[in-house]
Amino acid sequence: MRRVLLVLWVAALTGCAGSAPERGAITLVFKYARILGPADPLPGLLREFEAAHPNVRVKGESLPWTSDEQHQFYVINLEGRSPGFDVMMLDLIWVPEFARAGWLLDLTPRLGPGELRPYFPSTVEAATYDGRVFALPWIMNVGLLYYRADLLRKYGLEPPETFEALVRQVRRIREGERDPALDGYLWQAKQYEGLVVNVLESFWANGTRLLAADDTVFPEPERAAEALAFLRGLIASGVSPAWTTAADEELSRRAFGDGHAIFLRNWPYAMDLFQARDSRVRGRVGIAPLPRLARGPRGAGSTGGAHLGVSRRSRHPDLAVGLVRFLTSERAQKALARGAALSPTREALYDDPELVRSRPDLPALRALMRAGRPRPVTPYYLLLSATVQPEFSAVLVGVKPPGRAIGDARLRLTHFFGALR
Amino acid sequence: MTGRERADRRQALRLLAPTLLALGALTVYPGFWVVWLSLQHRVPIFHVARFAGLDNYVFLASDPRFWNAARTTVVFTALSVALELALGVTVALALHRQRRGRRLGLSLLLLAWAMPSVVTAKLYEWLYHPAAGLVSVLLGGHALNWLGDPYLALPAVILADVWRTMPFVAILCYARLVTIPAEVYEAAQVDGAGRLATLGRITLPLLGRIVMLALLLRMLDALRAFDIMFVLTGGGPAGTTETLTVYAYRSLFQMLQLGFGSAVSVVVFALVMGVAWAYLRLLRARAVVA
Repeated sequence: MRRVLLVLWVAALTGCAGSAPERGAITLVFKYARILGPADPLPGLLREFEAAHPNVRVKGESLPWTSDEQHQFYVINLEGRSPGFDVMMLDLIWVPEFARAGWLLDLTPRLGPGELRPYFPSTVEAATYDGRVFALPWIMNVGLLYYRADLLRKYGLEPPETFEALVRQVRRIREGERDPALDGYLWQAKQYEGLVVNVLESFWANGTRLLAADDTVFPEPERAAEALAFLRGLIASGVSPAWTTAADEELSRRAFGDGHAIFLRNWPYAMDLFQARDSRVRGRVGIAPLPRLARGPRGAGSTGGAHLGVSRRSRHPDLAVGLVRFLTSERAQKALARGAALSPTREALYDDPELVRSRPDLPALRALMRAGRPRPVTPYYLLLSATVQPEFSAVLVGVKPPGRAIGDARLRLTHFFGALR
Repeated sequence: MTGRERADRRQALRLLAPTLLALGALTVYPGFWVVWLSLQHRVPIFHVARFAGLDNYVFLASDPRFWNAARTTVVFTALSVALELALGVTVALALHRQRRGRRLGLSLLLLAWAMPSVVTAKLYEWLYHPAAGLVSVLLGGHALNWLGDPYLALPAVILADVWRTMPFVAILCYARLVTIPAEVYEAAQVDGAGRLATLGRITLPLLGRIVMLALLLRMLDALRAFDIMFVLTGGGPAGTTETLTVYAYRSLFQMLQLGFGSAVSVVVFALVMGVAWAYLRLLRARAVVA
């Protein structure tokens, strides 16, 4: 019975697709990155979609491994005007770029009233360009603070609300523990996209931004410089280890998971690994929002994740949109959250009793996700990011003062933006 | 020219045609296309495509990131190729003197060379791991920030590259050593040449040509080095390991600045051509002297 209902429900969502069978089998190609997890629920979901659409075959094709290569793959294929795919999994920072390039189908006219309401607002913001919606949010991510609950409790401390308090707590705990192998605060400062995410979070924590609404870069350069100087200070003073400047998510996650650090900034995926049966910090880890800087209004984690979009050159746009709707539906997201430990973009799922039973951290995550901020939503985000990466890195390794790095980045961006007009 | 000669010439052209066509379609045409792109402001996603003249090159001339990448490329090439040649020749000599286990030695060398550079890079990422890395353990637990220190990152990348490509030089040299007839050494022994004299006057001069060839091949490769730093450091920290090819890649495929990125690529191309040309001239001059 449940199966029949599902079929009817999917058919209703995809509109005419079910009622007007096309002659011959139709193949939809879905490009996605392999989802790691105990059991990949995606193939099963695709078969379910096929069962609801008897004349449709969905071919899931995996994307290259790294985000850089995936972007390159899409750009070459979409710019070459011969995309062999209908539905695309997109890193949310690409959505405005691809929309601007005219590669994505505008979903706005197909959306029912209130259809976007169940999603976290920041995910919808990231899918919107020029007032139109070009993708549906699929997988959600947010930067958050992991802390060693056992250590904090031992010293009678609460998770810090400001970075200054975090530094004091690190000093206090390390003095008490007298363990030279115990690091304070781990985060990501290797020269890559993750560095930009960490710096953006420090900007927000200090009440400023990288890109203003009128497209000015570094609207308050002094505040940005202050935040960068603070981050450099974390490394220079030893609160964060020197190798932070080579750390990505995994390097820092492993060190914290081995019990060698008090605080860690990372994405929600790390929680499942910390709570795994053979983990050395099992049951000793808490999560909290990222702190703010003393002068800043509030801390916020950067959002990340994946959206699903439809190629504008798809020959079966109705079916492709149907597949996107199906995969982003509450049912499919629930299956993904259970099987692959991914976090849903639909808010209601965070209080779903069945899900919470297998992932008890979900309700706490909900508030963090809600407070998350997207990185600048602009078609030239990658230009922005690739330009500031070496500058931010130079500040954090201590070879350039923050003010000069900001000035240099501004100069380059002005040049590139000039050529765009 | 007789009719016969003319017919021969036509026949020769016909035979060459497939090669010329293939080269033209796969190398010359895209080459010119990149040069043409480099003279434009071209950002497809913004629908910008207009002639820019030498704008991109003028910007490059005053672009610190470009000069930094150029310097990194030159330092990387000079140091890694020099180390590879020195170590490669040494290893070949050692292998040649070996009575047993040559085959095993050769297989191990080939293994390092056959490994995709991305895999090598991942391997070294672990070796350089700040806490658990073998390199730190070998240094007596003294953890150096290999990949996150602006002064150590480039040497670390060079070391990884030397490990991977030294076998190429070693195997080339070994192949040459095997072909040196034993009589030459016997004659030297009869003349009373010691080990050092034999090495300096016979072995190394006879290796000369193959070493020159290895030098050319390795230099052309090193000037275009990309994957090892791309995976190990992503060009960081502070851009200290960003080569021209990495910069070109970022400009082309991440910033999507097709015109500007092409200009960087053209510079790499000119650099490689310049080296090849200078090298060929050098060889020719030598051949005349000899």
